[in-house]
Amino acid sequence: MQQETAEAGRWENLKLSISVFMANKSAVVGLIIVLVYLIDALIMQFDPMLLGIHHPDVLVPNFLNPVPLPPSPQHILGTTYPGIDLLTSILKAIRIDLAYSFFVVAVGASVGAVIGIVSAWASGMFDEVIMRITDIVFSIPYLILALAVGFILGRSLWHMSIALAITWWPLYARYARSQTLSTKEYTFIEAAKAAGVGRTTIMFRHILPNVLPPIFIQISLDLGSIMVIFSTLAFIGFIPSANIPELGYLTSLGLNFVQTAPWALIFPGLFITIFALAVNLLGDGLRDVIDPRRRG
Amino acid sequence: MIVAARRLTKYFQLKGTGIVGGGLSLKAVDDISIDIKEGSIVGVVGESGSGKSTLGRLLMALLQPTSGQVLFDIPDDVLAEYDKYIETNQADKCRKIEEEYSIFRSKGKAMKEMRKQMGMVFQDPYSSLDPRMRVEDIITEPMLATGYLDPEKARKRCLELLDEVGLPRDFAFRYPHELSGGQRQRVALARGISTLPKFLVLDEPTSALDVSVQAQILSLLKKIRSRYNISMLLITHNIAVIAYMADFVNVMYAGKVMESGVKRDVILNPTHPYTIALISAVPGRARMRQRIILQGDPPNLVFPPSGCRFHPRCPVAFELCGWTADEVATDLDYLVQGKYYTTFQGNTQVIPKDALSILIKGTNSIQLSEMIASEREKMRSLMSIANIKDTEEGVLISLSHFVTPKMYNLDNGKKVSCLLYSPEVMATQKGAISGN
Ligand SMILES: Nc1ncnc2c1ncn2[C@@H]1O[C@H](COP(=O)(O)OP(=O)(O)O)[C@@H](O)[C@H]1O
Ligand code: SF4
Ligand SMILES: [Mg+2]
Repeated sequence: MQQETAEAGRWENLKLSISVFMANKSAVVGLIIVLVYLIDALIMQFDPMLLGIHHPDVLVPNFLNPVPLPPSPQHILGTTYPGIDLLTSILKAIRIDLAYSFFVVAVGASVGAVIGIVSAWASGMFDEVIMRITDIVFSIPYLILALAVGFILGRSLWHMSIALAITWWPLYARYARSQTLSTKEYTFIEAAKAAGVGRTTIMFRHILPNVLPPIFIQISLDLGSIMVIFSTLAFIGFIPSANIPELGYLTSLGLNFVQTAPWALIFPGLFITIFALAVNLLGDGLRDVIDPRRRG
Repeated sequence: MIVAARRLTKYFQLKGTGIVGGGLSLKAVDDISIDIKEGSIVGVVGESGSGKSTLGRLLMALLQPTSGQVLFDIPDDVLAEYDKYIETNQADKCRKIEEEYSIFRSKGKAMKEMRKQMGMVFQDPYSSLDPRMRVEDIITEPMLATGYLDPEKARKRCLELLDEVGLPRDFAFRYPHELSGGQRQRVALARGISTLPKFLVLDEPTSALDVSVQAQILSLLKKIRSRYNISMLLITHNIAVIAYMADFVNVMYAGKVMESGVKRDVILNPTHPYTIALISAVPGRARMRQRIILQGDPPNLVFPPSGCRFHPRCPVAFELCGWTADEVATDLDYLVQGKYYTTFQGNTQVIPKDALSILIKGTNSIQLSEMIASEREKMRSLMSIANIKDTEEGVLISLSHFVTPKMYNLDNGKKVSCLLYSPEVMATQKGAISGN
């Protein structure tokens, strides 16, 4: 019976979280857009024929008619050079962009969060050294590192993602560290000590549950920025083989036709921007949900 | 004795930024001894920053002391023995007793056992409860962490504790943010007494609450004390809370205890000049006594005043209280540049020479003596001027030496840290003191 009440309490809590999120209209819009991207990516992965797409991994050029065509019933979003249908290419590209962005954020965030939390928890000399290393890595511009990695390992989407993950973790290390430090200062940590709770248990019971949720929010916010940076790198020529459906690369294909065929530039770019925006709106809504004080 | 603190001292090492601040320390608690008897409520009162919370955290072993000891649940005869060993400097014998009773020596299992016997309620119920834990998890935490009860029994006891502190049982499944300040403090109290401790530290348990809620929490505390006979250390800056709750009082100022004794005796018959000022500021008492408003600011604890720490603000301070050349020079300069500007025409230069002498250029001893004689009642620092003489460089002022007060025993077990109650000082000072 006791257990049931506890279950009921948890269920109440979930309902409250959902209603807090739903109250934020723009967050709901963000969520829907992100879901649409996600569903598209899943379809491309598992059953592209559902959308009538035969080759989800490559762009299909049409050299008979390479010049970009405006939107029409055959090509709903028009085509880009060399005769590539934009709509299907964008649908394919979303999977690639999403996957690599996830990879970058997941690697960067987990490495960074672990380093930041451990550093703050250990404090002292260890913290000092780790943070100096973080500062050094942080000061490397991602473009330079991507160039260097591309030069040494060769230009590819994987190498680009690795370069981005390397430049991204210090951000999380700093964020996680400052979150941990401020959580350590709360009296409830001292109260736990007074209650006889050991150091490690305090870490897992009190510090992590307070530190991780804001990091998850940061991840959701960063997903958008990473996708923008990722496609920017592709746009400026970090993809060697010219046949990969990637939003930044697709945008670059339209570059030479900006005056005669603006859609070839606008549409792929728009899909990047919309995702970044949606993810931001979603993150804002999640922030409301995880902050116990904003639940009123 | 449930708790006996001896010569307890906590200096916080300041993190030096480069050369500045390196090696400096903040003397938050300095040489404090306190006894807490079984079942008694001992109050600690003092301005904010006087070291009350630091003292409370030391008694809970949440901080390591710089020096000194806290002995827990020690039989009175052993404590008497211990005090004798301290006095006669028998460190090895002291250590033997400490090994058994010191709260700072406990580790592992013994530490958990000790945590079971102690509880604490913090000032701010908004930060002392983990926002991500439900009330049930908060209240059962000490019981589970110390192995006091198994999870199932602990949950059951949590519900009983909610009854005890006057909260509905279904609060067990709520989160702290759903509770008001008073309700949170009740939860914190339930957590504090969950393992039926022998000793509870209450650090300003009502200061963060609305006035109407304060009284409820205090009477709840009284109820709990009388039911379980828990000894309590009650920290507050509010003398009315002490008057209502405590059996004994310690008045703290700048990291030191100024006066301690039975509550009635301290509040109705304050002895130390600081206590007198503190009590005179309580509204209801103003009719009985003239209100004394303390001049100046609370002292800097990195460089605390020498001698008696209260001397810069003490309305009856005299020459032995700890005046330094810097303090006297500042006051003299203030007079010659201000009220006596017309006499001195701004030609004078006041230069502290060493710890106990000051050189004043551009004037003579007669003018200065006149000014000092007429100001020394109001400006107590001038009391310390022992000698004024003309030299080639200028007027040389020498100050009296100073004495650092100890705790002096008075009637009724009262103790006071003020030179006016030192038998030795008074014997040599007969009649020489003005202003008392
Ligand atoms: N962890 C700490 N590090 C450095 N200084 C501290 C620390 N805790 C308290 N202090 C200082 O010690 C002094 C006494 O503080 P505290 O014990 O909190 O006083 P009170 O509770 O009487 O207001 C203050 O000057 C405070 O700034
Ligand atoms: S020793 Fe007594 S008289 Fe002297 S300053 Fe301190 S409190 Fe005042
Ligand atoms: Mg305090």
